[in-house]
Amino acid sequence: MKMKINHIPLVVLSLCGVLQTHAQQDTRKITFVGAARAQFYSDNYNSYYEEDTVTTAKLNSGNTLVDLGVNIRPNPQMEIQGMVRVRNDYGGFWGAGVSFDVRQLYVKGVAGGIVRYQLGDINYKLTPYTLWNSNQEMISGVPFLFQQQTNVVNYDHFYSNDNSWRQQGASAEVGFEFGKFIKEIGIKTVATRVKTSDFSQTNDRIFSGINISVIQSEHLRAGFNYVNVFDIYGTSRSATTFHHPVMTATFGYRRKTGGWLHSMDAEAGRSKWYYTEEDADSVPAWQGKFADAKYKLQHDGMGISGGVQLKYVSSDFRSMGAQTKRVNFNGPLNAFQRVGNDQALRPVSMIDLMRESGLYTLQLQTNLMAFNPQYDNITPYGEATPNRQAMILSAGYDKKNMPVSGQLLYYRGQEVRGEGTTTLRNFERQEANVTFNAKNYLAGKDRDALVSVRMRNDRTTRQGSETVPAVDLSSKTLTAGIDFEWKKQWHLLAAFQMLTYEGFEFKGVRDENQEIFNFTELNLKGSEQLASIGAKYAFSEKSFLSVQYYQFLNNTNQLDQALYTNKQWMLLYQINF
Amino acid sequence: MDVALSNQFLIMKKLQYLFAIALVAGLQACKPEETFDGPNLEDIYGPFFIEETLTISDDSLDLASGETTQFNATFSKNLNWKLEVHGMSSGARHVHEEFSSKVDFSWNGSTTILPMFRQETCEVMLTFDNQLDTLRDTMEVLSIRPLQGFVLSDFESGLNPGWAPFIQNGANMSFTVRSDGQAAQGNNYYDMGGAVTWDWLIGLIDMPASAYNVEHFPLSNNANNVFFNAMIYKPSAYDNGLTLIQFREDDNGDGTYSNGVEDLWAFEISGGTDGWSTISRKYEDIVTLVNGAETTPIGNGLHEPDKLVQVSILFLANPASGYSQAYLDYVTFTEGGPLQP
Repeated sequence: MKMKINHIPLVVLSLCGVLQTHAQQDTRKITFVGAARAQFYSDNYNSYYEEDTVTTAKLNSGNTLVDLGVNIRPNPQMEIQGMVRVRNDYGGFWGAGVSFDVRQLYVKGVAGGIVRYQLGDINYKLTPYTLWNSNQEMISGVPFLFQQQTNVVNYDHFYSNDNSWRQQGASAEVGFEFGKFIKEIGIKTVATRVKTSDFSQTNDRIFSGINISVIQSEHLRAGFNYVNVFDIYGTSRSATTFHHPVMTATFGYRRKTGGWLHSMDAEAGRSKWYYTEEDADSVPAWQGKFADAKYKLQHDGMGISGGVQLKYVSSDFRSMGAQTKRVNFNGPLNAFQRVGNDQALRPVSMIDLMRESGLYTLQLQTNLMAFNPQYDNITPYGEATPNRQAMILSAGYDKKNMPVSGQLLYYRGQEVRGEGTTTLRNFERQEANVTFNAKNYLAGKDRDALVSVRMRNDRTTRQGSETVPAVDLSSKTLTAGIDFEWKKQWHLLAAFQMLTYEGFEFKGVRDENQEIFNFTELNLKGSEQLASIGAKYAFSEKSFLSVQYYQFLNNTNQLDQALYTNKQWMLLYQINF
Repeated sequence: MDVALSNQFLIMKKLQYLFAIALVAGLQACKPEETFDGPNLEDIYGPFFIEETLTISDDSLDLASGETTQFNATFSKNLNWKLEVHGMSSGARHVHEEFSSKVDFSWNGSTTILPMFRQETCEVMLTFDNQLDTLRDTMEVLSIRPLQGFVLSDFESGLNPGWAPFIQNGANMSFTVRSDGQAAQGNNYYDMGGAVTWDWLIGLIDMPASAYNVEHFPLSNNANNVFFNAMIYKPSAYDNGLTLIQFREDDNGDGTYSNGVEDLWAFEISGGTDGWSTISRKYEDIVTLVNGAETTPIGNGLHEPDKLVQVSILFLANPASGYSQAYLDYVTFTEGGPLQP
């Protein structure tokens, strides 16, 4: 039977709604938005390995900055925003150490009442296998005290909670409503520039994507995603062009029976990664596939939930929009970059992830980036980590007005293709998360009192042979935090995180074409401990002043000079407007 | 429940089953693979021993008649190995490296480190990365490899009488053919050396096509197929020499080169490693130079090797840099690829 479209009215687009709502609430055509921040660090490095007479032990640094944005709404269907950042490093006077940057510039609106568009800076995401900015290791989901620092890093690098990537380009969305069989069809497209031509050997590189979502009903939805990263031939003298298409299909089903909500989500697709050039054999082409299906059962009234996820991601699956890591573990450190009397490079540690801006990436990367196996050897590239097949079980409890909530996760996985041998690595993860909200037990019930504890055990194993050593690497993370509002707007904060790791692992060394050409033996044994206390005064929901003291202990066998502590004072003043 | 809702419910129920079937089928299809990524760890950690020792199929090689010889050996695991044939009187070397568990290599007498092989006894040596074992043998080269391409000179008969050499009146000038056992090919080579304090040019040789009794050099008209090759020696004591090689074309077909009107292509050689090396340039890649800098072509701008009327080899040095020296041997044009010495 041929489907009859009864009517195709414009779906009331979210932005349109936002704009109209905004316009109704605030009729001003020009508003100022932004944030201001002052941050000061005082570090004290102390080596236990030997008397370090070379490294300067004390380091003071900090900056004050203002992000000042102007939001202009010339009419209800259009919005223009520009934001500049004025930053002054401590110690900079009379212009020295002062920088001015354009932080944000975009135009967005609704064209003809049909197409929602945005030009300029765009925060965009699609699915965890196509375009997804996965959280960084170790410092995501940490207690509030640690979050203050990680939020600064995330804000500076445009990392949003919705896992979108900040890109520069254009996007457009359109939607249609139908009367029968299909409720709604939405089409989203995006095109951004990932790399700029140097007019010599580097072409302009574009990320483009399209998403078509079909909502059949409140129960059933399906989607199609196609993203492609490609070089534009002719934008440089290079005859070589890069092409990286990823195509996926999604499926979602929701159904409520009694108090139980059943939900099923699945995504499957294929990828290609190749260069076209005269000598095509010199660079291998990667063709991969994946399938991921989740089932979740949730009871609102009882607050309990459970889920099972099955996934398969082939070894050759590549998706730079989803596999690019936030952290570049080969990035430079600012604080105590070299330590010890030999001034060896200091390995990246947990505390560096919280504050070192130079470790973070802003642009999608063509190749798989380096990772630290002791931090995360199982999902270093998020959901789209290649060479994994796994079953993930989860359970949770989160009931309204109940003081305790928690989640449990069990990951059991295996490689799809071995590395250096046909024997596959096995992966196992257990994770538990408990939060206790004592707000209701305090007098007045208007103050915050949160205690959170999280534990995670990761283990990677692979059977050895007579000649090849077995792989057995385990890492354990314990995180705990307290946020106690002892007096209205005054918070006492404490947090602790400890990572211990031990074992043997082979790390594949990849060439510029992503092929493993060698293995590095990792004999890892060490621990990192970060303990902190602090106080915060919240002027409002959007602004606070916080003072914190951190003590970090690093102990690893990777580098002799790496047994050290870093005692750090941090003062942070944050205001959003 | 109305009919539409009932239908929708049925569709969903079917989709649920379809989803479950597809999931099971999909997961069944996703089985572990038999291959693996990266080098074999057994090759890195496994024991090494030689299963079949080195053999040479023909240990008396007549290169002039196009003979080749086959080297074979097998080992217990993949590893980096190096096979080296060393001319015991010439010092010529052929080195072949590979990562594998066997040697299966055919040698045609070519050279990777000049000079070229002569009629001599050669030592064959097979070594392995990170292993103490070395396999050795000897073989005889009975005759040298035949000359390749259109040879302008290998200096075995001295200088071509049709050439027009020019040598400055400087100090310690040595523009002469020598035969002292140092030649890259055969017995003779051309020694260019001297100190000229007033000019960059120390000496040059013009090699006109007429020296070979032809109007134009007998080359293909496809510049992508034609290669100029020469063997050049840089003494370790002198880094200041610069060899400029020029190619004059007869664009208008009148049989001569007209200065400033027709194409003059050139390239320079300076620095590099000490000792002999083979220089090869695709004719299409040669440019027009003025004082060492690339500039627009003078004539029709087309690389036309079939219209080449003269090759000039100029030896230059900064007048302030003192004595300079380089040797030249086996100057040749090849077609289809660079010279394989």
